[in-house]
Amino acid sequence: MDWFSYLVAGILVYVAVAVFLFGTAFRIYQWFRVTRSSVKLGLFPRPKSTLGRGFKLVKDSFFYPQVREVDAAMWIFVLLLHLGGIGAFVGHLRLFNEFTLIANALGDEGMAQFAMWTGGTVGIVLMVSVTYLILRRFKSPYKDLAIPEDYLLLILVLVILLLGNHLRFFGDIHVAEYREYIHSLLAFSPAFPEAIAESSTKWVLVSHVLTANLLFIYFPFSKLIHAVGTFAGNLIRSEV
Amino acid sequence: MDEKAQKTIAGVLDKRMNRQLLYYLDICTRCSICKDACHQYVTTGDVLYLPAYRAEIIRRVYKKYFTRSGKFYPALSEGSEVDEKLLDELYKTTYACTGCRRCMYYCPFSIDTTWFMAVAKAMLITAGRGSQILAELAGAAVIKGESIDLFKDIIIEMLKDTEKELQERVGNPKANIPIDKKGADLLYVALAGTHTILPAAVIFHQAKANWTLSMFEAANYGYFLGDVKQAVAIAKRIIDEARSLEVKEIVITECGHAYRVMQFLYEAWAKEKLPFKIRGIVELMAEYIKQGKINLTQDKIKEPLTYHDPCQVGRNAGFYEEPRYIINQVAADFREMTPNREKNWCCGGGGGLVAQPDLDDFRIKTGEIKVEQIKKTGARIVVSPCENCRLQLDSLNEKYNMGIQITSIMDLVANAITI
Ligand code: HEM
Ligand code: SF4
Ligand code: SF4
Repeated sequence: MDWFSYLVAGILVYVAVAVFLFGTAFRIYQWFRVTRSSVKLGLFPRPKSTLGRGFKLVKDSFFYPQVREVDAAMWIFVLLLHLGGIGAFVGHLRLFNEFTLIANALGDEGMAQFAMWTGGTVGIVLMVSVTYLILRRFKSPYKDLAIPEDYLLLILVLVILLLGNHLRFFGDIHVAEYREYIHSLLAFSPAFPEAIAESSTKWVLVSHVLTANLLFIYFPFSKLIHAVGTFAGNLIRSEV
Repeated sequence: MDEKAQKTIAGVLDKRMNRQLLYYLDICTRCSICKDACHQYVTTGDVLYLPAYRAEIIRRVYKKYFTRSGKFYPALSEGSEVDEKLLDELYKTTYACTGCRRCMYYCPFSIDTTWFMAVAKAMLITAGRGSQILAELAGAAVIKGESIDLFKDIIIEMLKDTEKELQERVGNPKANIPIDKKGADLLYVALAGTHTILPAAVIFHQAKANWTLSMFEAANYGYFLGDVKQAVAIAKRIIDEARSLEVKEIVITECGHAYRVMQFLYEAWAKEKLPFKIRGIVELMAEYIKQGKINLTQDKIKEPLTYHDPCQVGRNAGFYEEPRYIINQVAADFREMTPNREKNWCCGGGGGLVAQPDLDDFRIKTGEIKVEQIKKTGARIVVSPCENCRLQLDSLNEKYNMGIQITSIMDLVANAITI
């Protein structure tokens, strides 16, 4: 690995993961450090049983059905962004370990095809969704409410996606090599296998990892903490 | 404004901080979904009334004075100083909010904008910029609590005529309106004037309830003002009265915010557990009808009639079915507004707006949606169990020439009751 790649796709990855985990834990600790008001802020009607409350919490947090009624386009794109995000997360797990069940069923060639279609679709869907959200932010009243952080996050996500899609559609590196790199990270001795080190795709990969690192580092200290806080907020909605 | 004053005002945020507020400060994505929920934003198109923008003013102060991000990268998160301009904006947007919490219903994170507005009001009061008129009304109510003996005779005098009317209505010269009656089962809290006393007295008389009338009005201007101390003092007058009369429950008249204060806020604010139940009169009337304690004429109202769910009775207290049950007992042509129940639009009069003359035009303008909703039903009568809603509906009726009649549920019941 050259020194720059080592720094960005090696050291910084550890830093980012650590900041993400400890930062998020710290933010949660900050919430719990403050006394809770005993005023019950729940809205009616509210579920009577704990089970009902749990079910509503999941429904509200993952599908926010009421948003559909006021802004259907926004609802679709935000849903796609988040489901796509989960999809992308699951997809990246293949870089840690082959999904042997699917791979055995489909065969090597079939698996590659499958990954191309699913991963490709998710990548495009995410790109379209983020583009929609960025464009929306440039219109009133959204722009009147927006602060720089809102644009920065969306643009950062878009750049990650562009680079990721570039790796998928134009890269000449295959999953086995990426897996080797990830495993080197897990073994705390980051290194690129030859195929990556010698390819020009390396710089796309390094940039993808760099921007993803930045997102993870920024996560706990930005509004992205909504990923955790949404459960608290939606639980208050049905408190009795 | 000097730095010390700024710090004092911003410090209110720290003093009033609680976990719910901190969640809300941290998680809003500024997605603006709430914009379409707020009747004030929808009818004015002014970003100042966009719920998340109202909260954002407080969030900027929070970032500026209390977060590291505000210190390390202020340009990104846009913290802002407490200055005259900020306080002006805050005043306009805060005292305009009706507290309907429709924005909370639609927010994907269920952020309660009114929770920000409560802190905003506390900051404004600290800055000496609380609503003047609401402060005067609240002050008067507190004084009445402190010197009730002076008022008692006036109240008894005022009730004499009402008592005569009651006796005529129920055809019983012994029918009375008890006040200060020890050992009554329920303490009924009415509004200023007698329009919420007479129908209740008719209903209680027919149901043979062991009741007594509170010497205080239900309305709580301290709550609208945003001054927790005063709000508690105003509510406490009634709580103390109930304690000394040893009643089993307090029954609040058709007044949304008064019920909210008593049922959902008082115990948390005053840090005391109440030894009696709090109920709304609508709930009680539905019970009387179901139990056959009062009987209603079968000669139902034929004119088309619709029901406006007051935010503090529906979305914020959960009484959707009781009012509808009663209405269906007395009206033949009941028509729902769309949307209704938890999605119902605010009429535009809550939050103490009807008591603030400088907001009159704004209130009429932002009532547009309600006017359209009512027109679409074709109803000639609009029923609503909240005084603020009824006052607003009266104004809308007049300004938009709607030619409708506005009534309370109590009046419907008292008029339909068979003697
Ligand atoms: C589970 C409940 C969640 C809900 C209800 C939710 C809701 C939202 C909403 C309403 C937006 C606003 C989009 C905009 O106006 O720009 C948003 C943006 C976003 N969310 Fe979530 N989210 C959730 C979880 C997550 C999770 C788990 C992640 C990632 C780890 C995440 C990452 C993002 C990103 C990257 C954006 C776009 C950037 C931005 O607008 O700032 N969200 N989310
Ligand atoms: S809907 Fe909720 S998260 Fe979205 S801008 Fe409004 S308050 Fe913020
Ligand atoms: S509580 Fe009602 S009036 Fe206030 S901001 Fe929310 S929707 Fe608007």
